[in-house]
Amino acid sequence: MSSPTTVPARIDPPDTTVITGAAGWLGTGLVSAFTDGAHERDGRLRLLVRDTTDATAIRAVAADASGRLDVVVGDVTDPGDVARLFAGVDGIVDVIHAAGVIHPGAVAEFDAVNHRGTTNVLDGAERAGIRRLVHVSSNSPFGTNPSRSDTFRNDEPYHPYLGYGDSKMLAELRVLDAVDRGLDAVMVRPPWFYGPHQPARQTTFFTLVRTGRFPVLGDGGQRRSMSYIDNLVQGIVLAELTPTEPGLAWWIADARPYTVSEIVETVGAALRDEGYDVRPNRFRLPDFAGTVAERIDRTLQRSGRYHQQFHVLGEMNKTIAVDVAAARRDLGYDPEIELYEGMRRSIRWCADQGITL
Amino acid sequence: MSAPIDRHHDCDVLIIGSGAGGATTAATLAEAGHDVLVVEEGSWVPQGSVTPFSLEQMDCQYRSGGVTVALGLPSIAYTEGRCAGGGTEVNSGLYRRPPGDTVRRWRHEYGIVDFDDDTIESICDEVESALSVQTVPGEQTSASEILQRGADALGWQHDESPRWMTYPEGGNAADGRRQSMTETYLPRAIAAGARVLTEHRLDRLVMHGGRALRAELTSTLDGDRPVTISFRDVIVCGGAIQTPAALQRSGLRHRIGRTLAVHPTVKLAARFDSAVNTPDDVAVVQVKEFAPEISFGGSASHPGLVALALTDNWRDFGHAVTAWPELVIYYAAITSRGRGWVQAVPGVRDPVVTYRLTRRDRDLLGQGLARLALVMLEAGALEVYPSYRGAPLVRSRRDLAAMTASFAATKASVMTVHLCSTTPMGEDRRRCATDSFGKVHDTDNVYVNDAALLPDAPGVNPQASVMAVAIRNARRFADAKAG
Repeated sequence: MSSPTTVPARIDPPDTTVITGAAGWLGTGLVSAFTDGAHERDGRLRLLVRDTTDATAIRAVAADASGRLDVVVGDVTDPGDVARLFAGVDGIVDVIHAAGVIHPGAVAEFDAVNHRGTTNVLDGAERAGIRRLVHVSSNSPFGTNPSRSDTFRNDEPYHPYLGYGDSKMLAELRVLDAVDRGLDAVMVRPPWFYGPHQPARQTTFFTLVRTGRFPVLGDGGQRRSMSYIDNLVQGIVLAELTPTEPGLAWWIADARPYTVSEIVETVGAALRDEGYDVRPNRFRLPDFAGTVAERIDRTLQRSGRYHQQFHVLGEMNKTIAVDVAAARRDLGYDPEIELYEGMRRSIRWCADQGITL
Repeated sequence: MSAPIDRHHDCDVLIIGSGAGGATTAATLAEAGHDVLVVEEGSWVPQGSVTPFSLEQMDCQYRSGGVTVALGLPSIAYTEGRCAGGGTEVNSGLYRRPPGDTVRRWRHEYGIVDFDDDTIESICDEVESALSVQTVPGEQTSASEILQRGADALGWQHDESPRWMTYPEGGNAADGRRQSMTETYLPRAIAAGARVLTEHRLDRLVMHGGRALRAELTSTLDGDRPVTISFRDVIVCGGAIQTPAALQRSGLRHRIGRTLAVHPTVKLAARFDSAVNTPDDVAVVQVKEFAPEISFGGSASHPGLVALALTDNWRDFGHAVTAWPELVIYYAAITSRGRGWVQAVPGVRDPVVTYRLTRRDRDLLGQGLARLALVMLEAGALEVYPSYRGAPLVRSRRDLAAMTASFAATKASVMTVHLCSTTPMGEDRRRCATDSFGKVHDTDNVYVNDAALLPDAPGVNPQASVMAVAIRNARRFADAKAG
């Protein structure tokens, strides 16, 4: 293990990079970073997307690199589709497994996509003899911090939060099984992320803050780690290209956690500075509203149903704070973007897409 | 016809209790020339005459044979020493100065005057010299090495807690001799002229207005006999449970017994592939990565206590008891935001004690126990047996998910040995039972000088805090009376 002052050695990008969930929020960020962004690479990109609409969208993102793009339409839940994803790859191959479902239609999708889908991808990767696989995990296998001042260290006991947490924990365990069988796989664990290519739910977040209706629970002193997408992409690339023991995992997030109040204020300031009219946030809910929402979420999930608002509200009075020291030490990770700048970039991206906030 | 009074004593200063608070108070005042009488409910048991952490010790040096229970969900078991020297005779001897920010917070939040870090630090220097506080010169026990190894593997901060122990030249951890109150401050008090009456239990102080006139006690030396003691001043040092109960029995109520603070702990037993158990000693290494909120350390692991630690899931864990030499017990302790009550009940000797954990407390206990289990796995434990009802056997990291999923503080054997704060000191009368130096508000001559004065549980082993506060207050008392 290297000391904090030395930059860890790096290896060259592979001949082929396989990305699952390539048309998702994170996947799109990776593809654009690899084709015309900060982490541009020369090899082929083999992308798994769910349907032809997504295929068209991701081709548009990577228009400058269309000659080295292989887009495979399929689903990680189908072993046949995964076999097609890996069919005929040669040379040095790395895999970034970014496919996952966080807000599903029904609870059963958690296990089907996040857990069994991961098993399929690991099987495919093992058969294809790949060099390294980076699995994108989550904070959710570790639950929430027991107190506001607690911060998760890099190594923590599993304590999954509801259905999503269970499925992401099981996925991690399958990765560790594959490592035991000889696969070189590592994991990154991003908490709540934000940035360009964001889905509609994140646009709603901006709109709630702009109109002063974002629900702050209690005094807003809960702490949350967040990960700006460029920071996350940097972490994933470093996890891929830094030689380490297989089976390791790292928190990848912004340099420090923020309080919920700070998040709401900073987003408000970023919106104002981008020329939006922002109303003061007056929507404060008592802390127990979060507890009630969590109970409703639990009850719904037990009966197989999933309701995004209750889930998000139920998590809002919790602290989810992580320490990125191990990623800095092992990978030379250096999260460059902080909340204000990251949020301004996100808002600008929305404006460029013609999205009304 | 009333019972004849068996005996009567007179003194200037009566000190009730001979533990960390009472013994230091007695020595300080006797050495300043005061006529001091110390009464102690338990007996004088010389250090070394009873095996440390044994069942025999529980019988003769603890109250109620070892364990008493604070009611609540969950109920919290606690222990109190009852012997000359009190808790100092039977505890683990681990010494931690009160953290500077704790001292400053107490001063600020409770309005304690003349309570500065420098005074406390300089008294700690004296205490450390009087008790020979030091680290182990030779080899650590296996129990300490396990904590060290596990924490190192995780990159978690740990250190060795010094102890009040003397060692032979280069001696190992197990060769230490405890410098408890019967070895240090009590002999000093006696040498300076203090008298000590053991096996005398305080029933009540007879009050008139704000003045205590005399103390009524029961001598248990030879059958129960009533005893009275007259004094100019009385200083109650019975510990955080007995002190408020005695004051309540004497008719004193204001902020007394309402704010019990403890460090709740949960435990686990861990099994290794070789003999690691040292029955008469505990680990001196503590894991401080999450301090002050969560700390890990070693617990007494006498075979009887190993059996006790396995009883929460005896069906699955009981078989391990025969392998007790390979097992060690560890705890996770938290700083609690909950508070408890101590309430004397007429006609019953022991007070009713209740304690309520907050949700944060319960979550910290769960996360603490899981992190402690992770330390054990990283240290090479073959099996971990968490102490709560229905706990799963933990052999690997993946088993930790089953453990965290099934843990609830209400199922756990929560216990504590650090009891504080039942007559907090300070000028803020809305919060405090005594003034800044332990004199009970609205009395002329009733003082408290023990763990009950600490405004809350300090987040570290509290004996040093208790002794430093007691010596500070005793000096102030001696100066005032001399003036």
